[in-house]
Amino acid sequence: MKRHLLTVAILGGLIVLLVLVNQWLGIRLYDRIATNLCISLVLVLGLQVFMGNSGILSFAHMGFMGVGAYTSAVLTIPAQMKGMALPDLYPFLQAVQVSPYLAIAAGGIVAALVAAALSYPLMRLSDAAAVITSFALLVVLYTVMTHWSQVTNGPRTLFGLPKATDLPLAAGVAILALIAALVFKESRTGRLLRASRDDETAAAALGAHIPSLRWRAFILAALFAGVGGALWGHFITSFSPKAFYLKETFLILSMLVIGGANTVTGAIVGTFIVTIAYESLRGFEGVLNEAKIMSNPVIGLTEIVLALAMIAVLALRPGGLFPTREIGALFGRKKTRQENAG
Amino acid sequence: MGQSMSEKSLNAAGVSVEFSGLRALDNVSLTLSPAEIVGLIGPNGSGKTTLINAITGQVPLAGGRVTIGGDQISGLSPRRIALKGINRSFQIVRLFNNMTVVENVESSALAHGVSLRQAREKANTLLAEFSLSEKAEDLAGNLSYGDKRRVEIARALAADPAFLLLDEPAAGMNEAESETLLHILSELPRTRGLGLLIIDHDMGLIMRLCNRLHVLASGRTIAEGKADEVRKNPAVIEAYLGSEAANA
Repeated sequence: MKRHLLTVAILGGLIVLLVLVNQWLGIRLYDRIATNLCISLVLVLGLQVFMGNSGILSFAHMGFMGVGAYTSAVLTIPAQMKGMALPDLYPFLQAVQVSPYLAIAAGGIVAALVAAALSYPLMRLSDAAAVITSFALLVVLYTVMTHWSQVTNGPRTLFGLPKATDLPLAAGVAILALIAALVFKESRTGRLLRASRDDETAAAALGAHIPSLRWRAFILAALFAGVGGALWGHFITSFSPKAFYLKETFLILSMLVIGGANTVTGAIVGTFIVTIAYESLRGFEGVLNEAKIMSNPVIGLTEIVLALAMIAVLALRPGGLFPTREIGALFGRKKTRQENAG
Repeated sequence: MGQSMSEKSLNAAGVSVEFSGLRALDNVSLTLSPAEIVGLIGPNGSGKTTLINAITGQVPLAGGRVTIGGDQISGLSPRRIALKGINRSFQIVRLFNNMTVVENVESSALAHGVSLRQAREKANTLLAEFSLSEKAEDLAGNLSYGDKRRVEIARALAADPAFLLLDEPAAGMNEAESETLLHILSELPRTRGLGLLIIDHDMGLIMRLCNRLHVLASGRTIAEGKADEVRKNPAVIEAYLGSEAANA
């Protein structure tokens, strides 16, 4: 228990430190980066809840982020703006307008309900079949978002969301997500799910109902993704379905894989590292283009370097930077060893 | 669970298993009573592990049925069979390598609906029994092979099974570890009232531990009965040592 509290204290402290440093610096660009980082934390922690504990790679996560973002948008865009922002909106939704904070929670709940309804049959699958079906689910969700113009405005940009997300809110939700991910990991469901991740046959032989365990984790992961999506929507205030597809999927997967999918610590550390690297590379790309060092503009350097970093981590340290133990457990073990040696 | 199950026997009747037309088990019948230790022996490839897999639902039956106290369990999933009170270890150890030793043992109790706190208490008791307390927080994947075997048995016991099927539990252990294991296993029927089916190639351990032996060769039962009787059975000697030894 002490180790878990230590993990929360260290990782939560890191998030609080981010907020404090940002407020001390007072630079608007850093505020945007830090807020995006905290929203990414919510998304990556959600992915860790399912992927880290079940061992099954899921591509569908960004789709549920989209469900949350659009749910919150429909519930919060002012009624007088809906005529322009969502011209095809169902009449019964036109007058609906709730608090963005309520809508963020609703975004998470709707994403979780959609996940619950769609995913149970998929939870019986393992290995490649499970990965491919999760990818198919992402394609289905993306296609629905692109074509359901009554709710999403189709492939066009949806605008008019009230700005409600700031750094303290995003950081607060990220800390809640951190605690929830750790509590889930140590719960009965989390432990049995981790057992099935390590050896499905042995876990079933002990009596674990693996599809049910995976399903619960998938729903919780979708809840995180929906909340993350709604938070992001109220930060950026306008978006289109392409914000919830392959490029973004790759980004959050790289955060989790580089940090270490099996641990909550890995999810947090990976998100920090990749966000900092991503923003630095984007800045570097901009400097290169402004200086006109190359004859053609440099495009895609960020993505290529990230992809290479992911390949390097998978080759050299397949479990990521924190493959098995949470940071609190690592500190606890060091202390115990020192006490024993003394 | 152990209480109600302890009055019932595990019965495999006329069990057959086929793999792509090859008959791996042919009409094998075996009964395991509560508080009894039965040794399942036979040469390599005789079908011993397949019989455990068939009882625990890991492979489908081509014929026959498995029951506990008359209730059919064959055809159920491995999970449901586990919940009926049958637990097992594997020929090649299957631990949850990225989890700690204590988490491995707890997981079995948790799968049977025990609370987190009770599961931890049960795991700690079992780890002490198996002299593994000092390694409770080690990752299971980092243990020695002998320790992994013991953790696997402790994990199986954490579910309070009525019947425990152990596939080569002493493999990879040194003599001292094997002796300790023998002592622990020999006490289980008395202390827990469970029926124990053991596969092992260490005949010394099998002879000292088991009330009865069941011998398989080429997927068929060639002998069963008390250890001393089975050991003198010519068919058993032939299966193990070849026909020349049997005729000598």
